[in-house]
Amino acid sequence: MTWLNYPFFVFLTSGLWIAGLLILLLPKTSKLRIISDILLICGVLSLLYFTVYLWISLERPPFRTLAETRLWYAIFISVIGIILFYRWKLVWMLSYCLFMSILFIFINYLNPDTFDKTLMPALQSPWFIPHVIVYIIGYAFLAVSSLTGIKGLYLLSKGKSVEKTIKLADNIVYIGFAFLTFGLLFGALWAKEAWGHYWTWDPKETWSFLTWMVYLLFIHFRISKKKNIRSSLWILALAFVVLLICWFGINYLPSAQTSVHVYS
Amino acid sequence: MEQRFKSISQKRRFWQFPWGYKESFLISFAILLIGFLIEYISDGKGISLPGWPVNLFIILFFIVFLIITSKYVKHPIIKWVSSTQAAISSISVLTFLILLMGFIPQENQNVIPFIRKIGLSHVTHSLPYFLCSFYLLIILGFTIVRRFLPFTIKNFAFFLNHAGLWIVVVAASLGSADLWRLNMQLFENKTNFVAYDTRGNPFKMPFALKLLNFSIEEYPPNIALMDNKTKTLKIKKGDKLIDVTKDKITRIGNWEIVIDKYIESAIKDSVGYDTSSNVGAVPAVYLIAENTQTNEKRKGWVTCGSFLMTPEILILNDEYSVAMTIPRAKKYSSEIRVFNNVEDFTDIVIEVNKPKKVNGWNIYQSGYNEKMGKWSNMSIVELVRDPWLPVVYTGIFMMLAGAVYLVWMGRWKRTKDIHTDS
Ligand code: HEM
Repeated sequence: MTWLNYPFFVFLTSGLWIAGLLILLLPKTSKLRIISDILLICGVLSLLYFTVYLWISLERPPFRTLAETRLWYAIFISVIGIILFYRWKLVWMLSYCLFMSILFIFINYLNPDTFDKTLMPALQSPWFIPHVIVYIIGYAFLAVSSLTGIKGLYLLSKGKSVEKTIKLADNIVYIGFAFLTFGLLFGALWAKEAWGHYWTWDPKETWSFLTWMVYLLFIHFRISKKKNIRSSLWILALAFVVLLICWFGINYLPSAQTSVHVYS
Repeated sequence: MEQRFKSISQKRRFWQFPWGYKESFLISFAILLIGFLIEYISDGKGISLPGWPVNLFIILFFIVFLIITSKYVKHPIIKWVSSTQAAISSISVLTFLILLMGFIPQENQNVIPFIRKIGLSHVTHSLPYFLCSFYLLIILGFTIVRRFLPFTIKNFAFFLNHAGLWIVVVAASLGSADLWRLNMQLFENKTNFVAYDTRGNPFKMPFALKLLNFSIEEYPPNIALMDNKTKTLKIKKGDKLIDVTKDKITRIGNWEIVIDKYIESAIKDSVGYDTSSNVGAVPAVYLIAENTQTNEKRKGWVTCGSFLMTPEILILNDEYSVAMTIPRAKKYSSEIRVFNNVEDFTDIVIEVNKPKKVNGWNIYQSGYNEKMGKWSNMSIVELVRDPWLPVVYTGIFMMLAGAVYLVWMGRWKRTKDIHTDS
């Protein structure tokens, strides 16, 4: 299986998820709930199935190109969305996650990667997979936290209570931030192994450190005595901008032309 | 009236204790400005930190200072220095400085002189960076000391995160003066004991290295369409590169291309290419291309060439040819004999991602002669000595443990929340 088979899975997964979501929006009966659960999970399984086969056919873990990263992102963000949905029963959260996920798989559909099988020697390391996976999980959590933040800002503008929303954002940020910390530290341990030094301020390293710092700011702002909910929410939104630059924008920055991390 | 009077008298004036955000941010940005100013006056020289053993004394002094002061000095400033407001201000300035660094190319010669003079072209060894990090370490240090007792599980997780970070930053920055990173070129069957730093200064190593053998394993080459005029491969995103070992028949545009023969390592002779393991041999394919519309046929050998042999392409028409990509290295490794003296030696094999430790030095496979490719008889190794590494790793593992706790607990309930969340 290669990217040539991909369109089939794009439509299968999107179809299953959209059907699952539509059923959830109908007046609930317990029978329909089970059907939507099955549809949602099958959507994830379909993507997972494609990814595993892609992995086998590439003969290397599919963690290298931007499209492959997007694929994993799509899987994890949908899984997290479904888990959060079962935990907190938030349909908007689920819809957002599935929308993001569908967006990513469609970007891949419209803009596929080169069919490149090679992996440069420095990437053939046992640190590679954990490094990328924890980053992807971290990014997914933080993306979700930002949406929670935006919902908070909306509620605030309507003069509604945001107590529950921001508590939820706090929890998600803590988890996402911890994963980001894993990513940063795994990256450092790996760099030591591969290049002889754990931190070289490569542009990608600089930007992921910045991302980490902005979320650190949010965490400490939230525990400080004189916190202000509106400012907290804005910090959360700003943090997401930095995260996006770190993830996509880096390829276009003048300071990043020599980065070892710029994806091919 | 009375009401108003009361509220004015209770309002804290600027610089009156306890300090809040205003004072904290003023202090932190003042520190940043002072840093820029001193850097400017010293003409952007940057700062170099002292090495062993001075750095150890500085660290010990720092720790003792933190403990003694927070225990015995009862001044509101000591309370402020471990407050979240101070912490946020210190994290903010450092973030701001690194944000500038994220946009300004570092170690670039053609930067505006003013940018260089205030240190923004070499942030990580500039004075403003040093001062801001130092400010952060002071605040973080006081916070840790204050929260260390009572010793509960919650405080322990707090300790792992904060002290881990403190240790990592201190050991990595003050230890950097003791870090040696040298490069050495090794030629097959020659012995060398001189290595060079990044500025080209030579150093005599306490041991000598002899390259016994250097080897490369390559990925199979690909073939692709090449533009005759620009001599560039026509590969768009999403195009398939043709793997000569797998894709026997492919179509590119109107051309059907059949890979008739593939020789992994070949030398040109009078009739074509033949198997050979001589130096400079290349991968070669014999292609038959047929235009499905005009039925034109083209046949011939295609190779990527090597430092000894010119590449060959198959010309299809005025516009396009078929060419082979230069095979990419899958892995490369060096067999090295390490001599402590003439009789005392050990043999090691190093590979990318698989360094070996010898007498306190880590030896990394770094590069080779890329022009010669798999026939390179030269290997570049990097020699790294980093005595502070165990300390940095201690900090890193503390932070990892702290992060596990964060994942497990999410945001734990703090006693303070009861007072402030209402
Ligand atoms: C690895 C990075 C860090 C993590 C994961 C982290 C996490 C946390 C958490 C979860 C808390 C609340 C803990 C509690 O009160 O039970 C906290 C408190 C605090 N942190 Fe951090 N932090 C980090 C770095 C920093 C830095 C760099 C500073 C200062 C420059 C700092 C200063 C503080 C302060 C002042 C408090 C309040 C302590 C108190 O009120 O008792 N932290 N931090």
